Amino acid sequence: MTVAKTTSDSKVSRRQFIGYAWAVAVIALFAQAAGALYQFVQPIVQAGGFGGKVNAGNVNEFAVDTVSTVREMHGFVSRVEPQGALTMSWTCTHLGCTVPWVESEKQFHCPCHGSLYNTKGEVTGGPAPRPLDLYPSEVVGDELVVDTSQTIQRTKFDQSQITPFPKGA
Amino acid sequence: MESTFNRATNFVTRSRVWRSFFRHGMPDNEMDRSLVMTTNIFFHLHPVKVNRRSLRVTYSFGLGIISAILFLTLTVTGVLLMFYYVPATTLAYSTMKDLQTTIPLGQLARNMHRWSAHLMVLAVILHMVRVFYTGAYKPPREFNWLVGVVLLLLTLGASFTGYLLPWDQLSYWAITVGTNIASYAPVLGSTARSILLGGSEVGQNTLIRFYALHVIIIPLGLILLISLHLWRVRKDGGLAGQEIPEERLEIASLKE
Amino acid sequence: MAAEIKDQKTENIFPSAPTKTYQLMELVRGTSPMANKGPDNTVFSFPVVALIEVLLLLGTTLLVFVFSLLRNAPLEDIANPTVTTNPAKAPWYFVGLQELLEHMHPLVAGVLIPSVLVLFLVVIPYLDNDRTGAGRWFTSQRGRRITLLSAIYAVIVMPLLIVLDNTFNLREMLRGVAPELISQIILPGLIITLAAWLPMLILLRWKPTMREVILCLFTVMFVSAIVLTLSGFLFRGPGFKLYLPWAMPGGYNPLSGL
Ligand code: HEM
Ligand code: FES
Repeated sequence: MTVAKTTSDSKVSRRQFIGYAWAVAVIALFAQAAGALYQFVQPIVQAGGFGGKVNAGNVNEFAVDTVSTVREMHGFVSRVEPQGALTMSWTCTHLGCTVPWVESEKQFHCPCHGSLYNTKGEVTGGPAPRPLDLYPSEVVGDELVVDTSQTIQRTKFDQSQITPFPKGA
Repeated sequence: MESTFNRATNFVTRSRVWRSFFRHGMPDNEMDRSLVMTTNIFFHLHPVKVNRRSLRVTYSFGLGIISAILFLTLTVTGVLLMFYYVPATTLAYSTMKDLQTTIPLGQLARNMHRWSAHLMVLAVILHMVRVFYTGAYKPPREFNWLVGVVLLLLTLGASFTGYLLPWDQLSYWAITVGTNIASYAPVLGSTARSILLGGSEVGQNTLIRFYALHVIIIPLGLILLISLHLWRVRKDGGLAGQEIPEERLEIASLKE
Repeated sequence: MAAEIKDQKTENIFPSAPTKTYQLMELVRGTSPMANKGPDNTVFSFPVVALIEVLLLLGTTLLVFVFSLLRNAPLEDIANPTVTTNPAKAPWYFVGLQELLEHMHPLVAGVLIPSVLVLFLVVIPYLDNDRTGAGRWFTSQRGRRITLLSAIYAVIVMPLLIVLDNTFNLREMLRGVAPELISQIILPGLIITLAAWLPMLILLRWKPTMREVILCLFTVMFVSAIVLTLSGFLFRGPGFKLYLPWAMPGGYNPLSGL
């Protein structure tokens, strides 16, 4: 029997080529499965309640130089000056413990590793790497409405972070 | 009398049913003792004969076996807890309370599960330390050492995911702090954390994910790797402790 | 012929006899298929090993059972995201990391150091691939001494570092002076690396084998981990501050968090 040889310069024989093609296809299949798994385990985004817009209360409830804890917004309204207030998250920027406002110390004091924050949320002690995160907020009518769907990270306090209150509040 | 007993035993052990179960006779002779090991799936992890040197208590302290035994205890008590436990934030804590107060021996099952879990972490760490100090990771056992490292991580993972399940203050804050550490890892950190938690904070999604990891994914991994680990101990020639120190290899007369 | 210049010793071991068709030619040093085997010193796994395993099973289970009768597993109040417990501790096997977190940036304490530890475990058998001494505790008398000295070193240095950083806190002293990158990442990272490698400088003068280098490193890391765990588990109280375990404020019992 005579075998007609295909003349080709290719170093890869047809068998090898098909073999490689199979290997690539199988690898691609597994990669696709891994990708699908990655999609599958992504967190579910939930709407409503905490994570949406929260009414923190009437602006007149927040007296100048006081810090109020608002459970619904998981955070604080800190009236640092007559012109307005800061709306901050209560999650410690170190490792996520809930930071209480300690009235006797006039500061935020995290029980986990002892981070300290002043009324503006700036770190005055402890391992926390940045000030308390902020929530965007605005005054609608006389109500302070806080958007808890996102937090804003900051490296230091500045005047623009204050949500202005209407005159006379 | 004696012959009646013998006859009864013989009737059983020579019956076709018995012999279809066990392919060896009474293990009172070398042949049948070998057959016990080679024909039984649970025993076949052992060699037919073992070196006396590898049985010395002060060599292995039996820590590997103790780890495996604790894993078995955890499986049994864990399955018992699963009869009552519900992985929902609204129910988890009250089912734990039920286990402790109203379910007969529920408290005991929970205690045994918890203490075995702590003990297993301890036993696995000590086992690794003894393997290290006896130099038993050296060739040809490098691969089995690697399998061991993965086993250590899986054991820690099993403990950590189980820690959240009672849904009390202890679990909630330990997991919050623990998973926040992960988010400091560059690039992958926060993604890994949110996939693990199923959200941005510890909640219902986290509980059910940890539950799945704790009762099925990690135990399956452990079963697989423990089997591989024990099989490799045999394939690598048994415990390293039976290898005779160099100096004793020299023929006695040459030493003089 | 070799057989003729055989010395008396060989003759003693294996006397040549005219009736035998074989004889010992020579004693040589070297390996043979019988190397590492030695005289037969084995026992049947059944029943000896099977019995040992049953005994271990009974013993371990009994221990856990009795302990479970004596002490209940803890169950605190239901999880409450609005109130953090004080102190909030990780499970005991991670509390060493938590202690580290007290002294440096989470990137170093929580990510870099654990990764280095696991990586170290992974590469051990590939760095030290000399088979001699496998299966012997500490490999040699010298290895035993190195282990002991490294352990003593870590037992002294680690508590010292903890107390030192607790009194002259690097982070607080450099707050506002140097950026966090230096005070919380680079400096503590350097200190801890140095602490781990210091014994090595002395060891290197002894011309150590790879096994001895790894014995030293592993011991320093392992003993440090024990010290950190004990410090975090027993000596940290409310606010994660250092107290004596028997003098915790507010009646806090460090053992209650098991
Ligand atoms: C779930 C955890 C583990 C189980 C159930 C387990 C089980 C065992 C058992 C039963 C043995 C036989 C000898 C003995 O009892 O000491 C063994 C040997 C061994 N294990 Fe593990 N082990 C575990 C984790 C580990 C870890 C964390 C390492 C190291 C990183 C490791 C490395 C080894 C090595 C290298 C041997 C061979 C020791 C020798 O030849 O002397 N294992 N293991
Ligand atoms: S979580 Fe607040 S200081 Fe660590």
